[in-house]
Amino acid sequence: MNGRIVVEQPGNSVVTDLGRHRGPRFGLPVNGALDQFSARAANILAGNPDNAPLIEVTALDFRMRPDRDLLIAVTGSPLTLTVGGREQSQWEPVSVRAGEAVSIRGIHGGLRAYLAIHGSVDAPLLMGSCTPDTVIGFGLKLGEGTVLDIRRSVAPLRQPYLDLPLFRLGLQRPAMGPELLVDVTDGPDVAEFGESAGLLFEAGYTVSGRSNHIGLRLGGRLPERLSTAEVLSRGVPVGAVEVPNREELLVLHRGRGVTAGYPVLAVATSMGLDALAQARPGDVVRFRKTTVAEATQAYRAAMAQLDALRKTVTTVFTLLGVGGEPQWRELPPGIAI
Amino acid sequence: MSAFTASAVEIHESGDSAVRVVAVSEDPERNWETVHRLAGWLDTCDAEGLHGAVPTYDSVLVEFDPAAVSAKQLSAFVQLGLQQLDTGSPAGPRHFEVPVVYGGEFGPDLDDVAAQQGITADEVIALHSAKSYTIRCMGAPAGSPMMDGPDFPQPVPRLKDPRLSVPAGSIAVAGRQAVISPAVSPGGWCVIGRTPLTVLDLGRDPLVPYRPGDTLRFRRISQEEFDGYAGRYLEAQLPELQQPESQQMEAAR
Repeated sequence: MNGRIVVEQPGNSVVTDLGRHRGPRFGLPVNGALDQFSARAANILAGNPDNAPLIEVTALDFRMRPDRDLLIAVTGSPLTLTVGGREQSQWEPVSVRAGEAVSIRGIHGGLRAYLAIHGSVDAPLLMGSCTPDTVIGFGLKLGEGTVLDIRRSVAPLRQPYLDLPLFRLGLQRPAMGPELLVDVTDGPDVAEFGESAGLLFEAGYTVSGRSNHIGLRLGGRLPERLSTAEVLSRGVPVGAVEVPNREELLVLHRGRGVTAGYPVLAVATSMGLDALAQARPGDVVRFRKTTVAEATQAYRAAMAQLDALRKTVTTVFTLLGVGGEPQWRELPPGIAI
Repeated sequence: MSAFTASAVEIHESGDSAVRVVAVSEDPERNWETVHRLAGWLDTCDAEGLHGAVPTYDSVLVEFDPAAVSAKQLSAFVQLGLQQLDTGSPAGPRHFEVPVVYGGEFGPDLDDVAAQQGITADEVIALHSAKSYTIRCMGAPAGSPMMDGPDFPQPVPRLKDPRLSVPAGSIAVAGRQAVISPAVSPGGWCVIGRTPLTVLDLGRDPLVPYRPGDTLRFRRISQEEFDGYAGRYLEAQLPELQQPESQQMEAAR
């Protein structure tokens, strides 16, 4: 028998990864962690591949308890993380002893937290991804008492000398808060909105409570489409900014239906989508116009930060005897607790 | 079959992780074939950083990882692909036959569609099951086969109040299009029937048995027959049942 984690308080949580990239060609949304930077960072800090299954916790408190020593990392929105009642830092590897509760409470400032577990957790795959698909009813949504199987255990890590923090990572955490700045590029159909397209950049938009992983609905001054001609269904990019009605702006996120017939006014950048993943109802979003070249550069800079983080983590883990394939403590199958 | 020549295309930036490629010839059929052949070529390449291609009618959305490839590089790659497109005839389409119970609880909008078209419900059914449809693309949600609709007198308006949940296997029409809903999903299209066959199976790869270019025909069955199909999958007809027209003609002689 492998190690187990029991979910004691699920809140609103799922097991996910970076997305089902083979899905869209079959009409399935890509889905995956909505804040991709935070999800990657959590996995890296836990010594996992970026795309390993991890837990996405949205808005509500979450608690779990493992029966083995674990190494975890929590990223994303600011929150209170406690392990066995002791407060712990986010954006750092954290040791958990067998039987201690891991508790995520008071998510604030942002909306989503990511909890990665060293060695990851077992989750069913569809087209190579464990990310849930609410439309076809696939995925591991966590409930009270859900048991997650784990394959690895790590004895508590301590800094061998002065018990100082293990890492001085210098990782720039994404900005979060009630005022968000979201970069967008011109959409392929921006011309259909004429001069009114500029309204997008003039004032803020308020995030509606009817927002979810499929899309965010935003209230504010709406650009207006000049023509009313029907558009043939076509693939819409994640991040598409559309004006489907007179009430709200719609920004499609990773759960978006793959095809649609609305003109695409603008497209949120990859980093902009991460910011939107942390937007809470009532928050104000301001859009800033950028170019595809600049957006690509910004994205690559963020990935370079994560590359540097991966190097640091690998080095530290290796020094502590955690890194490197031979040093992982594989839990042998067939041994009861 | 005449050799295929790809339509000219326009490539539009669509954020940092996608481009929209639009075929712009005057011929919709050629545009459709261009974007589907291009998507097929991109799938086959499986190039580093390329996530996938979503072809529909006259356009294909190409998604990629901006850490590995830029929109500019991707666009150049697409242009290269267009020159490499197979000019022969594509792999022969497969044919599917879909049994349908029309009307009643299985097709709650059948009578409304008939009234709106100014024809009888039986005429709606006859028109819907008369032709062989070509699957144009996979739609949302979940591998829906999008087809050019039956030869109704007029386009079919969408429902004013979209349903929150439409059963799997629902057969629906809207505008000039027809579709099967493979999974339970919300829907604003008019549902005129339901097939007892399982269309989407999460345990199978691919998830749905058809692909764009395949053909499909609906066959009316009675309500009593519905349960007899329970647990059966929609599967392509055996090759001997789908002889090319020339052979059928020979057989007729």
